[in-house]
Amino acid sequence: MANLNLYSRSDKRFVLINMFLIAIFTISTMYPFIYIASLSLSSGFAARAGQVVLTPIDTTIEAYKYILSQRMFWVSYGNTFFYTIFGTITSLLFLIPGAYALSRPQLYGRRFFNLMVAFTMWFNAGLIPFFLNMRDLGLLDSYIGILIGFAVNGFNLILLRNFFEGVPSSFEEAARMDGANDFQVLWKVYMPLAKPAIATVALFCLVSRWNGFFWAMVLLRDEEKIPLQVYLRHTIATLSNDDEFGATLIDAPYSVETVSAAIIVCSIIPVLIVYPFIQKYFEKGIMLGGVKE
Amino acid sequence: MSSGPDIEETQTLQIPTRGRMERLVDHMKKDWQLYVLLLPTLIWLLVFLYKPMYGLQIAFKDYSIFRGVAASPWIGFEHFETLFNSEGFMRALRNTIAISFWSLLIGFPMPIFLALMFNEILHRKFKSTAQTIVYLPHFISSVIIAGIVITAFSPGAGIVNTVMGWFGLDPIYFLTKPEWFRPIFIGTTIWQEAGFQSIVFLAAIAGVSPTLYESAVVDGASRWQMMWKITIPSILPTIIIMLIIRIGNMLEVSFEMIILLYQPSTYETADVVNTFIYRQGLQNGQYDFAAAAGLFNAVVAFVLVIGANTIAKRFSRTSLW
Amino acid sequence: MSGVKLQSIVKAYGAVQVVHGIDLEVQEKEFVVLVGPSGCGKSTTLRMVAGLEEISGGELTIDGKVMNRVAPKDRDVAMVFQNYALYPHLNVANNIAFGLKIRKESKQDIEDAVAEVGGILGLTEYLDRKPSDLSGGQRQRVAMGRAIVRRPKVFLFDEPLSNLDAKLRTQMRAEIKRLHKRLGVTSLYVTHDQVEAMTLADRIVVMNDGRIEQIGTPMELFLNPINSFVAGFLGAPPMNQIKATIAAGDTGPLAQFAGGELALAPLADLQNAVGREVIVGIRPEYAQIVTEPTAGSVSCNLDLVETLGSEALLHTTVGDDPFVIRTDTLDKMGVLDAVTGFTAQPDLIKVFDADTGMALAGQTRAA
Repeated sequence: MANLNLYSRSDKRFVLINMFLIAIFTISTMYPFIYIASLSLSSGFAARAGQVVLTPIDTTIEAYKYILSQRMFWVSYGNTFFYTIFGTITSLLFLIPGAYALSRPQLYGRRFFNLMVAFTMWFNAGLIPFFLNMRDLGLLDSYIGILIGFAVNGFNLILLRNFFEGVPSSFEEAARMDGANDFQVLWKVYMPLAKPAIATVALFCLVSRWNGFFWAMVLLRDEEKIPLQVYLRHTIATLSNDDEFGATLIDAPYSVETVSAAIIVCSIIPVLIVYPFIQKYFEKGIMLGGVKE
Repeated sequence: MSSGPDIEETQTLQIPTRGRMERLVDHMKKDWQLYVLLLPTLIWLLVFLYKPMYGLQIAFKDYSIFRGVAASPWIGFEHFETLFNSEGFMRALRNTIAISFWSLLIGFPMPIFLALMFNEILHRKFKSTAQTIVYLPHFISSVIIAGIVITAFSPGAGIVNTVMGWFGLDPIYFLTKPEWFRPIFIGTTIWQEAGFQSIVFLAAIAGVSPTLYESAVVDGASRWQMMWKITIPSILPTIIIMLIIRIGNMLEVSFEMIILLYQPSTYETADVVNTFIYRQGLQNGQYDFAAAAGLFNAVVAFVLVIGANTIAKRFSRTSLW
Repeated sequence: MSGVKLQSIVKAYGAVQVVHGIDLEVQEKEFVVLVGPSGCGKSTTLRMVAGLEEISGGELTIDGKVMNRVAPKDRDVAMVFQNYALYPHLNVANNIAFGLKIRKESKQDIEDAVAEVGGILGLTEYLDRKPSDLSGGQRQRVAMGRAIVRRPKVFLFDEPLSNLDAKLRTQMRAEIKRLHKRLGVTSLYVTHDQVEAMTLADRIVVMNDGRIEQIGTPMELFLNPINSFVAGFLGAPPMNQIKATIAAGDTGPLAQFAGGELALAPLADLQNAVGREVIVGIRPEYAQIVTEPTAGSVSCNLDLVETLGSEALLHTTVGDDPFVIRTDTLDKMGVLDAVTGFTAQPDLIKVFDADTGMALAGQTRAA
């Protein structure tokens, strides 16, 4: 809008108060992250004594040394990368062709299939039947189970479908007259056209895979297969309840708090790296998918 | 060289009618590739979402792992009777409603305030930086958020107790106190989601025609008046639709976060239906009983969502999907 | 021979019929334009020829072969779309080559074909550009290039110029005409713009409400519209249509108006219609202004003079009916304000039945 100089005095006051409030909210969003980062770099003694408020006290990287020396940290980190990358690829392999087919007006039974998708967003069998089904399919404790079992998500499917529907049908018709079949129309015309939507969905998949916790905790028993989030939860929970570990820490340069903080930092970093890319797309993505987030 | 329309003749032209089956075969022949593209997704939906719906019948059965879903004997509504007579479930139900209600009451207006405030910021760089930061927590996993909360509220080292110490207050072990669970949980989810949820409202605000503001400026309106007289009425439809959706999703308390934050000493205020199901079913192995609780939850949620969708549709003529 | 023949072609969506039986034969190398108001079924008809819409009834043959159930790609037709449908991720050369690549033609052939088409359309220096870097006219040319490159038997155009501004439209119209002369490919062209139809077509098909009103060369349609719809659709401003009664005069039939009478051609059909209420059609160009009431002229009230430069439009009323006269301005500006009536040559006056709107038969005028 207009230049601030054109504002009346009361308007200027209004604008400044508003900026101040936004600044407070923004800082309060950021502060916990800064606090955790500082904690992870503080000495165990300072952390236990509650001295850390804003900046690291007695700066040390001992907590990171401890974490990075844990084999399970690396195993779970590797697993998370595996689940994130291959899980996203699996999702796209299902979502793109499915969404394209559902977007085509000539698909006989289209209304029925779309209702089938929508219904899964309204009615969910729930935790127990889903779990028992995974067990019956032999997908407990399996990499495949995690990859396939969470491949499709109604929201992403509908988001992509809506995008495909928004592409003028003359693109399909032109390609068809040029001799392209459905596979070619999708691969050579619609996929390139849908790049922004596909990128949006891919990023949504990446984030939800990276953050996925509950079902990995429930479905995976084998420690060698757990992702970072489960390891993180496990570590935070056991460290804070385990007196023995606490006892070994009396003389250590790190503490339960600093170690937990260090794991948190390690698992946030990849999200921060892709975050600028996500941000570029998600605002558009939300609107593409209608109003539901 | 000319042919006039002969109305009588053309209107009686017969279109050869083809049977349903025949038409289906035609479509299959012509569009089989589309069905090939659809098939993986279709099978996935059937195997991973519709088959569990079939499995829901164990809510009416005495389910045994060894017999399987189909062979377990029917027992009617026994599980539901037990359910509604169990203090644990009723408590979970009450907690779900209470937590949803307070989340809605406090959490729903926040993103609207944020969007209105963002809209009033003229400084581009300041605005985009602030937005980038407040959207971020949405993308952080609940485990990490819970980890931060646990650390920040811990009795010895946590920042909250440290600050309380400055004012001479005794430290509180927040996460073991039932009376503190809901404020902490609701505060956390608002902190995590309010920024992100403001996007929808910001988009609605962006859709308001700038000429409305320009004519208001010419008429001498202040920023404050424009916000009340133009912006808010313009985004009111969006606000109402979002409210209806939120009410429709009332039962969807983010139980993942609750599992991460609660402990036995806070169950009395923290245990919601989904965490109850999780404990009864997945931790104690009472699958049939937990499935009954889940079915009840799903049916109520379904009614709420369909109701919300219908109302929203009537309200705006824009369907949710 | 690569003609297109439509026999009783019908299109219905469920119970709703939108095209009610079209009969049309497009000769080899002919340029036929389908024209009509929006929703008249012209685009649907074109899309049925293309194979993009299923044909609900009737028979379509291209080059003598029945095409009703043949896939679009196997009909050997190419289409230029209203929005061009250029693939934004491909450069001009690849857009043009798309169809050839899909058909797996050899690399060398494709390159040669693209180069040739680029040359024909003056796109040679733009071949590496993306569509987003092209002007509207260039995009239009790429869209045509994509159609030309396959050397199809038939070109189909679906309002290809309607996304261009007026100046470019005139220019591209001429280019399409030139291209057709050069390539001589059978063409079927859909537009709602009667000027495009008049300038481009060998024959025009006027459609309305899912039916063909009239087929003929531009001049045939202009001079001898079969009914008042065609008369009102072609020509700008359209033909004036005013109420009159046919009377018998000394030398032949007369049309009597509120403000006078005009002699009509001495045709049997008109003589037989004496006493009937009719609609008389006179093109604005064929009305001659009169500044003093004379015998054989109709008086009118002048509302407004619109000066266009070389000519002027006089908006007048005859009784209650509006009547527009188009006249030269040279040496006449002084008298335009003093116009009191008009007259017209008998053989340029059309007479339509007041109820059915059909021209009373027997009237023809060669250009």
